[in-house]
Amino acid sequence: MTMSKKISVTAILIAVSVIAALYFFVPNKRSTTHLMNMNVPFVFGRFQIPQDNPLTKESVELGRRLFYDPRLSSNNKVSCATCHKQRLAFTDGLVHSVGVSGKPLAFNTMSLSNLMWGPQHFFWNGRSPSLENQALQPIQHIDEMDQDLTLLVDELAKDASYRKLFDLAYGGVTTSAIAKALANFQRTLISANSRYDQYLRGEIKLTTEEELGRKLFMAHPDTKASLRGGNCIDCHSQFLTSGFSTLYDGFSNNGLNSDDNLPAGLLEVTGKEEHRGLFKTPTLRNIAVTGPYMHDGRFENLQQVLNHYNGGIKRSRTLSPLIVEADNIPKTQKNHISLNLSEDEKKAIIAFLHTLTDEDFLTNRRFSNPFNSEVNDEE
Amino acid sequence: MKNKVILFSSIISALVITAIFALMQPSQPNQLTLRFSPFVGKEPLVLHHKNYPNPGGEGIFTVRDLQLFISNIRLIGRDGNYNEAESYHLARFDGDESFYDIVLTNINAQDYQQIELGIGVDPSANGTITIAGDLDPNSRMAWSWDVGYKFLLLEGALLYQEQQLPLVYHIGFNESYTTVTFPISETITSNNRLIKFNVDVLQLFGKAEPIDLSVISTVKFDPDHVALIAKGFNKLITLD
Repeated sequence: MTMSKKISVTAILIAVSVIAALYFFVPNKRSTTHLMNMNVPFVFGRFQIPQDNPLTKESVELGRRLFYDPRLSSNNKVSCATCHKQRLAFTDGLVHSVGVSGKPLAFNTMSLSNLMWGPQHFFWNGRSPSLENQALQPIQHIDEMDQDLTLLVDELAKDASYRKLFDLAYGGVTTSAIAKALANFQRTLISANSRYDQYLRGEIKLTTEEELGRKLFMAHPDTKASLRGGNCIDCHSQFLTSGFSTLYDGFSNNGLNSDDNLPAGLLEVTGKEEHRGLFKTPTLRNIAVTGPYMHDGRFENLQQVLNHYNGGIKRSRTLSPLIVEADNIPKTQKNHISLNLSEDEKKAIIAFLHTLTDEDFLTNRRFSNPFNSEVNDEE
Repeated sequence: MKNKVILFSSIISALVITAIFALMQPSQPNQLTLRFSPFVGKEPLVLHHKNYPNPGGEGIFTVRDLQLFISNIRLIGRDGNYNEAESYHLARFDGDESFYDIVLTNINAQDYQQIELGIGVDPSANGTITIAGDLDPNSRMAWSWDVGYKFLLLEGALLYQEQQLPLVYHIGFNESYTTVTFPISETITSNNRLIKFNVDVLQLFGKAEPIDLSVISTVKFDPDHVALIAKGFNKLITLD
């Protein structure tokens, strides 16, 4: 071996070692475009995007297509959008969702908006720890989309346009890429231009009735301090109106069942008896268009929901003490739990809830079915 | 043979360079752990499953949740102080451990003789939508942006005369913000770099004339009752 050869061997080895070392510092690169123009209100607070699934334009475009594609189901008739319709803030207007089996599911379809905030435990009982994990469950559920993931990957890989989209976004068609793309499309479903948002930004004033409703929404009643309240904020955060994000703070037993028929709820996930009957507190964004209400869709309209909190509460051992104790008349809760709000106050809270409807969100073309239009959705 | 030596030494040098880069990953700096364990008097607090006697009356009570803000942690030393940035910690006891840890990093605890803690949220951050540390205006501890934060949340139930009375103590207001100071002993800092604190909820209900929980079962916005409970913040936290 000549001197120059020795030097080059050494140089190559050093180069290899530097490249190996760079592995610790430089994340994987693909020619993707990060979403820079996402408009997120400061008051929503912090959010996290998984390190292994950066929010790229390519992944969102793929996710949107998958979301609306009925090929994700076994009979090629049911897509995510079958139960999550944009016009209804990604709900379906049904008491119980219906998938490929035609059998109504046990639960009401959840609205999809502002999913990067609030409890990062998905489904009504919180069984899924991430949007990526969540995305694959309805696809495989026997009554929802009943799809075999291996067959789905094969089917999508045969489609040249999908192959291209997957290659760009994730470097190939895989189960994990399907999950990641669906998760990323859902991360972009941000509702932040309702009248309430405009009010928060100082652009409009609420009507007198809406303002009364807002104040009642934001207050836990305290008769000792002559403070009337609708007690909503004890579970629904002030800006997001979703459940709280920390640990299981975003889950509550809101008095729908008594002890003799208290469903498992969060207990199914944690195994803790104190979590029996607790369900995820949903966002109230666009609540006026997402009926029927509650995890089992038992209430047809918002009047029925308000009546529930105003006298319809059923006692059980895990019922929130905040609900038992919340009363606008001193010491009447011994036998009958009620907020004891007046008819006008109930109407005012409903008027405030209507300020959470975001027409831009319900009609934003970027969230719509890409198969229906060839329009350029870029802005 | 000489070639082999060169090759071998090249491989070694390559490995060494790789190792050096790998070692440049963040390492563990000097740490000080503050550990808070909840008590009801002398009994450890067990959420949901344990009963405790009503401090000033009949019956027994259970606790479903205890959360409190520990803020503005400051270490005081002869040659200067350490102020933790964005120092808002929500201590809670419903996780996998029965205690709550705050880990201060990158400090030499030996340099300090005292530690100061705030209980609650200081007036400049309370009633704002600042997002710092565990302060989150969309959290369970936020009332609303114009009212501020609950500094301490204690929820549970009192069982007495065969009925169950909800207990709700949501204690906030700027006047309730309390700072407490403790000495840091040398043995703590040199040995395990761990300071153990006890959080005794009975202190909230008075010692000389304990409160009957059936009489004051909820405290939220009534300023007199808030002051009555917050008086206990001074002795709520003690060194173990």
